[in-house]
Amino acid sequence: MTQENRSGRPQGRPPEGDSRLTRTEAQLRGPFLLFFVSAVIWLLAASVLGVIAALQQGSLAAGPFRGCELLTYGHVAAAQRNLFVYGWGFNAFFALNLWLLSQLGRFELRNGWLATLGGAVWNLALTYGVIQIFAGNQGGFGLLEFPREVGPVLAVAFLLAGFWPIVAFARRPTGHTFASQWFVVGASFAFPLTYLLAQLLVLWQPASGVVQAIAHSWFVSNLLLLWFGASALAAVYYFLPKVLGRTISGYYLAPVGFWTFFLFASWTGPSALIGAPVPLWLQSVGVVAGAMLMVPVIVTAINFHGTLSSESGWSRAWNDTTLRFVSFGAVAFTLFGALNAIFGFRGYNAVVRFTSFASGQEQLLTYAFATMVIFGAAYFVLPRLTGSLWPSAKLVHVHFWAAALGAVATAVALLVGGYENGKQLADASVSLAQVAKAGSAWNMVLTVSAVLLLVGHVAFALNAFGMILKSSAPASAGRHD
Amino acid sequence: MKNLNTLLAGVFLAVALPFGALVISSQVQLGSLGRAPAEEGGPLFPSREPGLAIQGRAVYVSLGCVSCHTQQVRPAGQGSDIARGYGVRPSVARDYSQQKQVLLGDRRLGPDLANYGVRAKELAAVHEAIKHQGAFEFLYAGDKKQVASERAIALAAYLQSLRQDYSSPEAKLKQ
Ligand code: HEC
Repeated sequence: MTQENRSGRPQGRPPEGDSRLTRTEAQLRGPFLLFFVSAVIWLLAASVLGVIAALQQGSLAAGPFRGCELLTYGHVAAAQRNLFVYGWGFNAFFALNLWLLSQLGRFELRNGWLATLGGAVWNLALTYGVIQIFAGNQGGFGLLEFPREVGPVLAVAFLLAGFWPIVAFARRPTGHTFASQWFVVGASFAFPLTYLLAQLLVLWQPASGVVQAIAHSWFVSNLLLLWFGASALAAVYYFLPKVLGRTISGYYLAPVGFWTFFLFASWTGPSALIGAPVPLWLQSVGVVAGAMLMVPVIVTAINFHGTLSSESGWSRAWNDTTLRFVSFGAVAFTLFGALNAIFGFRGYNAVVRFTSFASGQEQLLTYAFATMVIFGAAYFVLPRLTGSLWPSAKLVHVHFWAAALGAVATAVALLVGGYENGKQLADASVSLAQVAKAGSAWNMVLTVSAVLLLVGHVAFALNAFGMILKSSAPASAGRHD
Repeated sequence: MKNLNTLLAGVFLAVALPFGALVISSQVQLGSLGRAPAEEGGPLFPSREPGLAIQGRAVYVSLGCVSCHTQQVRPAGQGSDIARGYGVRPSVARDYSQQKQVLLGDRRLGPDLANYGVRAKELAAVHEAIKHQGAFEFLYAGDKKQVASERAIALAAYLQSLRQDYSSPEAKLKQ
């Protein structure tokens, strides 16, 4: 950590960025905007499908598009989840991770066109995959539904869009690193490795019988925790100290948080298979790993909430658009970790298994945490890169309130509704018709919040696209010079 | 954490070790499971899937039925699967050893189907169930949507083939 001492910068604080658009930022403006704009378009598409799926789920027989094969629930639900994860989440984190790297090291994105190319290929492969889902060529494993030829293309595209910046980062001249970088580097390396191994086993060289399901559970937990989770943690580690202008509390714990997070996350997969016809030792490993994941969750809680709690940090966070979103996300992550540990245990898990509860947990991680953090980051980064201001303060308000209320309502409906649902299902004397009837109120909540989220996302898109179109920065920015 | 190589090596191990320990080792443990008799000289189970059922499985996958239906029975004490009549015994890994694609599922918007073939008595009832009060009528032709398409016929054959009501070495039925 020599660099640090030389500059006299305290630990636990990212380097001061230049207030002008730096050369590096000009270099990455092109790929960043490509990733970001695609991300927002996919988010809008996923939100529309989310509304349709919520309506269909409530009533299969009377939902919209009943009897329409193209838009049957199985297609809509799969397309929605894939677009949200691969379309929104991946593109957004390609953009954000790239930008974080550029802020932290003396980083230069040579051959930035490679990342742009990766982004283009990623989005084309994704479009093809989603069309195939609607056409009835989907696989049977969640988040691996795309036909098998899409997998290798996505993997190569990821290497260009997500991994190339890491290579560039590794070659930068300075040695000092900050917590955000560990998480970005870890996420960008863990995902392609996971994806290739999973593709190999599930699609190309099918493992036999239930081993497919075991491999799938391992894949999903890696994708959600090590890509979504780690990338979003990187952003929180950056924006909290940056915007508040202070150091992360208990920063010396951050390496412990990083290593324990990566150490345990990849073992948690089988906790999604409790009660399934897979070996018991495997289920137990998943449960124990889920409980051990509390260690990094507590470390990040100390780091984040500690930083926010001193010197009226919470009220300052509330009055800053970026931090309002980011601290919302930080709280959601702590909640996610706690629920994950508790509801891994067999007794509790048996109640909520096969209900909407697991979607609720996923939603806490991918929306209430990761997506809110991305939104917060966008409010910080976009004005810098475009050189313009957000066109409408009103739309920012609409965006925050719709997204925050929608996120809370969705999580409550999926989690509490799922728990109630599970309680009734556990009692064999309650008929399925009665269970369905009792759940219909929660379905209403889910539909309303899906609409709310859509409204929020439209407000965000209008504001962001308005700003990008208005921006006057040179068109050649982002090209390698 | 100055050294990027340490970081990359650590992350590599953090991902590769669980893959080996969870996935590869269960392939070693379960990969060779096949058809077996519950007792010496008894009939072999699970049965091989009929060809039509294999086609039906493809229809099941392509329409995303797995987003609402599971195919696994949990042991007594974990939920009410057996009490609800989803099966007479818990599912075991061997039950799935003949399936090219395993559709355990993780969401039950509808009932579990692991033993639907045992419950379904008449073909007409199976087709009625597939229609879901109209949501899947596109699989049927005719004015009254009574004429099953090829896909519906295959799907019905698949659903009727779903059964785990035999004794297996890991899960014997009480006589
Ligand atoms: C949106 C969720 C959903 C989807 C998708 C779905 N089902 Fe169902 N399914 C249900 C519900 C709910 C029931 C029980 C209520 C009823 O009878 O309508 C059910 C009942 C059934 C039953 C009767 C089970 C029994 O024990 O009586 C069968 C068989 C079935 N579905 C097969 C399928 C097949 C095959 C597909 C794919 C083509 C499919 N389902 C897709 C929700 C769904």
